[in-house]
Amino acid sequence: MTHEIVLTVNGQTERATVPASMTLLELLREPLHLTGTKEGCGIGECGACTVLLDGAAVTACLVLAVEADGCDVQTIEGEANDGQLSTLQQAFIDAGAAQCGFCTPGMILSARALLDRSPNPTDEEIVEAIAGNLCRCTGYEAIIAAVRRAADRIGGEGSDG
Amino acid sequence: MAELRYVGKPVARDDAIDKVTGAARYTHDLAVPGMLHAVMVTSPHASARIVRIDTSDAEALPGVRAVLTGDGLSYRVGLYMVDKRILARGVVRYHGEPVVGIAADTIDIARAACRLVKVDYEPLEPVLDPRDALKEESPLVHPDLETYEHAKGVFFPEPKTNIAHHQRVRKGDFDTAFASADVTLTAKFYNPPVQHVPMETHATIVQTLPGDRAEIWSSSQSPYTVRHLLSVCFGLPHANIRVHVPYVGGGFGGKAGLHLEPLAYVLSKASGGRPIKIVATREEEFNTLPSRQGLHSTVEIGTDKSGRIVALKATYVWDAGAYADYGVNVGRAAAYSGGGPYVIPNCWIDSYVVYTNKIFGTAYRGFGHLEVLWGIERAIDMMARKLDMDPVEFRRLNLLREGETTITGEAFTAGHGSPVECLDAAAKAIEWGTPSEPASKPYKVRGKGIAMLHKAPAMPTYTSCAVVIKLDEDGAADVLVSGVDYGQGTYTVLKQIAAEELRIPIEKAHVTWECDTAFSPYDWQTVASRFAYMGGNAIIEAAADCLRQIRDVAGQAFDVPPDKIVCEDGVAFVDGDPDRRIPYAKLALGYTFENGNSIGGPIIGHGRFIATGLTHLDPETGQGLPAQYWTYGAHAVEVEVDTQTGEIEVLDIATVVDAGKVLNPKLCDGQVVGGVVQGLGSALWEEFRFDESGRFLNPAFVDYKIPTAKDIPRNTQRILLENPQPGGPYGARGVAEHPMISVPGAIGNALHDALGIEFTTLPLNYERILLRILEQGDRG
Amino acid sequence: MLGAFDYVRARSVEEACRLLAERDDAVILAGGTDLLVEVRNGLREPKLVIDVKAIDELARLDPSDEEWMIGAAVPLNRLAEHRAIRESVPALADAALSIGTYQLRNRATLVGNLCNASPAADAAPVLLTLDAKLSVAGPKDFRTIPIAEFFTGVKRTCLTDGEVVTDIRIPAPPQGLKTVFFKQQRIRGHDLAVVNVAGSYDPTAKTLKVAVGSCAPTPVLLEPTEATGSTAAIAERVVELAEGATSPISDVRASAEYRRAVLPVLLRRLVDRLLSERSGA
Repeated sequence: MTHEIVLTVNGQTERATVPASMTLLELLREPLHLTGTKEGCGIGECGACTVLLDGAAVTACLVLAVEADGCDVQTIEGEANDGQLSTLQQAFIDAGAAQCGFCTPGMILSARALLDRSPNPTDEEIVEAIAGNLCRCTGYEAIIAAVRRAADRIGGEGSDG
Repeated sequence: MAELRYVGKPVARDDAIDKVTGAARYTHDLAVPGMLHAVMVTSPHASARIVRIDTSDAEALPGVRAVLTGDGLSYRVGLYMVDKRILARGVVRYHGEPVVGIAADTIDIARAACRLVKVDYEPLEPVLDPRDALKEESPLVHPDLETYEHAKGVFFPEPKTNIAHHQRVRKGDFDTAFASADVTLTAKFYNPPVQHVPMETHATIVQTLPGDRAEIWSSSQSPYTVRHLLSVCFGLPHANIRVHVPYVGGGFGGKAGLHLEPLAYVLSKASGGRPIKIVATREEEFNTLPSRQGLHSTVEIGTDKSGRIVALKATYVWDAGAYADYGVNVGRAAAYSGGGPYVIPNCWIDSYVVYTNKIFGTAYRGFGHLEVLWGIERAIDMMARKLDMDPVEFRRLNLLREGETTITGEAFTAGHGSPVECLDAAAKAIEWGTPSEPASKPYKVRGKGIAMLHKAPAMPTYTSCAVVIKLDEDGAADVLVSGVDYGQGTYTVLKQIAAEELRIPIEKAHVTWECDTAFSPYDWQTVASRFAYMGGNAIIEAAADCLRQIRDVAGQAFDVPPDKIVCEDGVAFVDGDPDRRIPYAKLALGYTFENGNSIGGPIIGHGRFIATGLTHLDPETGQGLPAQYWTYGAHAVEVEVDTQTGEIEVLDIATVVDAGKVLNPKLCDGQVVGGVVQGLGSALWEEFRFDESGRFLNPAFVDYKIPTAKDIPRNTQRILLENPQPGGPYGARGVAEHPMISVPGAIGNALHDALGIEFTTLPLNYERILLRILEQGDRG
Repeated sequence: MLGAFDYVRARSVEEACRLLAERDDAVILAGGTDLLVEVRNGLREPKLVIDVKAIDELARLDPSDEEWMIGAAVPLNRLAEHRAIRESVPALADAALSIGTYQLRNRATLVGNLCNASPAADAAPVLLTLDAKLSVAGPKDFRTIPIAEFFTGVKRTCLTDGEVVTDIRIPAPPQGLKTVFFKQQRIRGHDLAVVNVAGSYDPTAKTLKVAVGSCAPTPVLLEPTEATGSTAAIAERVVELAEGATSPISDVRASAEYRRAVLPVLLRRLVDRLLSERSGA
């Protein structure tokens, strides 16, 4: 019932022995201690556990750890580069897009996936990309502004980082 | 006052870097060596007798370390009404009530053990409608109500009834004034129970230690209240309990008071002192942890011909649910502000907090006020129409102003701010009086609405708080507080005030993020938009204490009196001789002369604040001074409605709050926009749904919908007025709750403008709107 | 942990079918967005989960000349972002995009949406109007099931033990086909349908097909209508057909009354959108 898996998490190769019914969220938070990925509902409705699985935003509570075998996973801990905040992270700070902060990691990863596939998104695309991430504090306006700001900055600089 | 360097500036949040990197650790994320995980078996019935609980199979499961039922636990807990068991005993009183607690090596074992527990229930007739609960023949939710401890002189439970508290306000002679009024109105309104929905569900870790001690980590708004209530409940000295509060993922009132901590405590005891972690599932957050209570209101208003209110009566029947530990205070606050921000010469208010067999209520952002103002602000609009007056004119005529008194007899002064200015600003923001642009489709209509709001912090008359400031070797300041910043940004504001008052660069002011009752000084609870006000005042005093010590030592160093020392930019210097200067860094731990002699010592300042002049309300008349300060405001909205599907969209919403002084515009902005969207949730979508046996039908995001990024208003305006508050730090008042309070009322009023229909029940969901449109079509 | 099942990553359809037939309480895992929620909520307790995402042919998304094929492992976002799908059958893309959140659609599949057999399945009405067929592999042989025969009740399909849906086939849309999907939700954010409707109009054959979801135990395809006469008259015919073919109920999401009120509204808007630009209308 357990499976040996190998995956890349934030650029590092991780090997783990996981029960078939362990979720990717449990794998990240417990054995791998990457607690930046949050659990808000456990049924894929709130987006707090959003991570990138082979570049695609997914809710880690609805992915089995064993399904991620051989995959590349990015969590919030992989967003900054050597302690240097990404443009997106800095934009969240500057726009006041975090309040309690519990939705913030998932929100940033949804936005990261968006900017990776569509570097110059429309406001509608931004809303669509983050509408699966519930936030109870901010009313979303500052978050949308942060993503917009990050896109503009990245567009201006030609690269993120 | 000299120009402010930091206060009033859009300083970015202190904690943002931890939050955007995933470094912020919440109780959800913590682990303590040896920690067990605990899970609850909860009641499937709204009301039932517990016939038998068989836990033998659960106990036999390998990895299970403790199994508890209510039978072994004689404790009762509660903030204002001590009416709740840690685990149900004898009876269950709501669907979702904890019945058995199990601690095991892993959460999966604990869950498996829960499935092995067999509980036999004998279902009882549930009390579901609080109006029925008031009838003599109603079953009693708490037959032993008279035996419960409660805050005496403040709350008045009525034995052998379901009334946990009855708050009266009596001013003038309502009956006579109403009888002789020229125009009268009677209307009924309803708010359903709703949930706070913090993104981090309630979580706690409790470890009991030798010598009757306990260490606790909790996602709490009130570390000292957790400590105090646990101390009372278990008979422990306060010093034996240490409460840590790390980052908290949202609270909105739902994490004030005591929640999962007592269960974790008794499970830790039962498992030989192992740390116990309990994290509520989202379903438990909805179903087991408290909600905002529902409300049935009846409002009667009488005016003279000119439109001046002569009498107002309101009857509030609160659906408190199974326990009223905090709900009684909601009912109290709703009474003393239950007439709205108007001049009411003859007022009669009854607010009944009534037990039912439902999820129990607690504080929720702006507590009591969103609920009562839904009715009052709708009724004010209805009354204006009866008078054939413009609703804004009618309000302007009746709003509280200098020289008038509130319904509890408090004199209204210029220091209260200006409700009239709030009204005018709101009206202007949506071009009140100018008809809406035509709607985007022939089957859509638009309308505008306006509603006033007010709220004061609802807190004990003796509410207090303290702040400690320690200076570091590098001249920086560490600020210790126990108010919790669970997203509001208060710590950033406190940092601004600390830097301002200590005269140091803002980078050198730090507020310690984790609260710890072992080190951080007392604060009552972080609720009621009071912390920036009270903590702000305390920090000003603490900074003054530090400066006194700095001047004292620097004065000795330069051999001048302390009052000749000027402090600026982290440096103390002699007035008129700025070359004779010492940076704080050289004073922080004591000053050392060139020859090695030293004076002073580590500089630690403290400051405090206690509510002043508040009184208990007279039990018969409600007269007294309940409020440290009031914050007034208004909402104005424009909506568009699809008359064929009932779908409603908020095109524009303006929020006006008389903030006294905006301490940080960026953070205020966040509170306003976030509050508006939360208010929109209450207005349009959110409600607990129950079946006829009292079972809760929508305990998950699948069927309990909160606004997403697709559901925000097209335009959100924020207008912050600055009529200063005497006694407020820099003239500030609390503003965090207010932006959600009258969103429902303003939308209800706009719906009348659009459709000509009087809505009286929340939420104003698409279905309710369409069915009323069709009903009207049938009639007309 | 989501229960105590084992997991197999199937390498072929045959392997998946064999395991499904041989092992007790085995289930197919594609996107997992319905299955894992049901397991978490204790509604299903599988002993074996057979992941079909690694089977190459199930990942195919292939709009060719005669027949379009959508493999069982194709996530909804991939489907909705496919240019040919968006251009030729926009209703299918719209329906796919109305399911769940963006993140969910990176996992959830069209086939999964159908196999879950919710009366509110958003993909079903569109596929009903497109005469879609499901390719089904069984322990012994393959068969093709027209989608109109696939649903047998709430959460029930005509699949038998050991059968696996491998893909959905849609006849290549005729030149000029117009398709529309409308969904009434409770909120603009992700939500299940209160009522959903889809329609397709073939201007050459002048036939109009309309299907309705969330208003009966299964999604319902209405009798095809000839698109002659005024748009308003056609719409009323469709409304009448729908009223005869549906039986809305009250549940936690909406009352029967609201569903009955909204259904004709959506249908009239649907017909109007499909037919208003028709030549000669």
